[in-house]
Amino acid sequence: MKKRLLATVLSAVMAISMLSGCGGKSSGVEEITFMVWDDLNATEDLISKGYKDSIDRFNKDFEGKYHCTVVSTNLEEYYTKLNALVAAKETPDVFIVSPGPNLDDYVKPGVAAKLDQYLDADGGAWKKSFTSDAVFAGGTYDDGIYAIPLNIAAACVFYNTEMFADAGAEVPKTYDELLTACEKLKAKGYTPITISAGTAWCLSMVAGYLCDRNGLNLDDIKNHNTDWMDAKVINAGKQIQELSQYFQPTAAGDDNDIATAAFYNGQAAILIQGSWAIGQINGSCAEGFADKVGVFAFPAVSGSSADPNRVIAKSDSLAMSSTTKHPEAAIQLMKYFVDDTASKYTAEVGGKIPVTNVQYDEKVAPPELKYVMDVFKSANATFGFYNESLADTEAGSTFDNCFVEIFKGTAPEEALKPIQQYYEDNVWK
Amino acid sequence: MDKLLRNKLAIIVFLAPAFILFSLVLFVPICKSVFYSFCDYKTNYPIRFNGIENYVKLFTKDTTMWTALKNSIFFMIFSCVTQLIMGLVLAALLTNIKKGRNLFKNIYYLPCVLSSAALGLLWMFVFTPTLGINQMLASFGILKDCTEGPGWLYDTNGFIILPIIVISFVALWQYVGQSMMLYMAQISGISSDIYEAAAIDGCTKTDAFFKITLPLIKPMVATAMSLNAIGSLKFFDLVYNMIPEGFLGNRAHVLATHLYDQAFKFNKLGYGSSIGVVLLSMCLLVTFLINKFVKTESYDM
Repeated sequence: MKKRLLATVLSAVMAISMLSGCGGKSSGVEEITFMVWDDLNATEDLISKGYKDSIDRFNKDFEGKYHCTVVSTNLEEYYTKLNALVAAKETPDVFIVSPGPNLDDYVKPGVAAKLDQYLDADGGAWKKSFTSDAVFAGGTYDDGIYAIPLNIAAACVFYNTEMFADAGAEVPKTYDELLTACEKLKAKGYTPITISAGTAWCLSMVAGYLCDRNGLNLDDIKNHNTDWMDAKVINAGKQIQELSQYFQPTAAGDDNDIATAAFYNGQAAILIQGSWAIGQINGSCAEGFADKVGVFAFPAVSGSSADPNRVIAKSDSLAMSSTTKHPEAAIQLMKYFVDDTASKYTAEVGGKIPVTNVQYDEKVAPPELKYVMDVFKSANATFGFYNESLADTEAGSTFDNCFVEIFKGTAPEEALKPIQQYYEDNVWK
Repeated sequence: MDKLLRNKLAIIVFLAPAFILFSLVLFVPICKSVFYSFCDYKTNYPIRFNGIENYVKLFTKDTTMWTALKNSIFFMIFSCVTQLIMGLVLAALLTNIKKGRNLFKNIYYLPCVLSSAALGLLWMFVFTPTLGINQMLASFGILKDCTEGPGWLYDTNGFIILPIIVISFVALWQYVGQSMMLYMAQISGISSDIYEAAAIDGCTKTDAFFKITLPLIKPMVATAMSLNAIGSLKFFDLVYNMIPEGFLGNRAHVLATHLYDQAFKFNKLGYGSSIGVVLLSMCLLVTFLINKFVKTESYDM
């Protein structure tokens, strides 16, 4: 009996030691994890492919010293999974995140690390490689910088030059000219604007532009110097209703893929979209279509004092875990994401605006990128997508819903009540 | 039996897996959810106890909650009634045909085993104005243009909006096989002696259905109804997959999607838990009511 007991205990000990054996690597390689919202081995997305390339280069260059493992998930459940890892105290050393309320959730509880000391090291060499301090705006909090931007997408108006020429429409500089152009396009039998109200952020992006062009300042909303019943917001709502007569008839039900496809297939003349559309125009559209596409900045609203040279921009950013055991390796990995090779790729292949002072070949880059760059360079300031710039994600979603209501024909004063109520209950109290 | 109970070890060994699994994956999480529902709990932030604040907000401030309740209760009533009728009709038909019974059984049951996510996507395409039904109607000349027809998934008029009704029919299509199987199992358990005796007494097939089959499968009606009611109260996947996220705003929420949005999209886990607790209590209440009012005495067959 005793022997049997001993044998049992011994085999249990062996089994346990085998299990624990998997955990401890003693090869001297610093192992770090990177979490991203796309499956980098299967993705078709050009920007994500660029990320994979950066990681591969990192792993090759630092073989034997550092190694990075990718944790991937799809975008829909990205933050849920990341939160679960944080709760389990297994925060990835480096993770991708959108600036705004999403980043707030990692900076405020201290999950993300402050990065100033790394940016300022060696006389600020790394920081100087970026185009300007403005690119850090989304990742900057009261006491420092918490996120490194990777690339910038700017929201612009893409148009079909052939249809414009055929209808005799001109590139509009003001909102009224935009209406005139749409009227001419409609008279020629074209669908003037294709947009998706089925995918909330698409309509919301136009709403954000209109609010901004009417002179709304989101800081005023935040500090309760004004509220959502402001005449500027109401006016933006009325303009959405005015514009909606030029949308494709199925705008209400179309999702973003269907709405953008209508532009790529030459069924509609205008698409208001982020510059990531460039990658699609050059990647998956019919031969020769890219040559027909022009880009202009969202028109100004005449009579408003607002600066018409402000652009909606969105950047993917990297944050580092505050509990990482290998900060040097993590920082090194982040540097690989914005080094010259990566930034060149961003511009020439990905069609997004690079954040560093890199010389890229304009001939290789998609022609539309040049237009977007022109729009972006003449911009005096950038602002975020409205639904990612409000107090929290729920406020953003409420804003989206309000403008969809307006699009459906509810009077703006009535339709904006939920967002007003939300701010009264949760933000201004 | 006595001998069996004397072997304590055997009892423990056989009960342990079920007991451990049940408590770990069900009982403990439920208790924790109930606790969290009284807290202000966001991931990454410390948990703060705030009493019944979540519930007060849920029932006084949250207009989406009322929409979700309305839609969920509609789903429940609709599915209980239609599944009962359709399930019974199909089961009665299939037990009475001789050829092709298995084929049709498989056909009706097939949607049950397919993934709801894939089905949701498929039906979403069917009801998308530029792709599916409207396009078909237009090509037959019933509609002038595919953009003219009803907005199956984005019409917002009426007390119960059209998308919810459309989805409840899709859900009926998907799950009717399950009710049918339950009824069929019960019907085939009825001894053929009874039917033969009835036939000798001059009973027609219709009479036999109403006077013999129906009363004898009553216990199964209670079971199937409870399953339907619970299933439709916690209904999530089709709504989540078929409704475009933007256009309907909060009109097409059911309890489970509202819970998901609040807990995971807006990172309000405490508030989400309180919705979950409401959902759980509703499921318990409905099951209790059905079992109370649908009498389930079983007959010896």
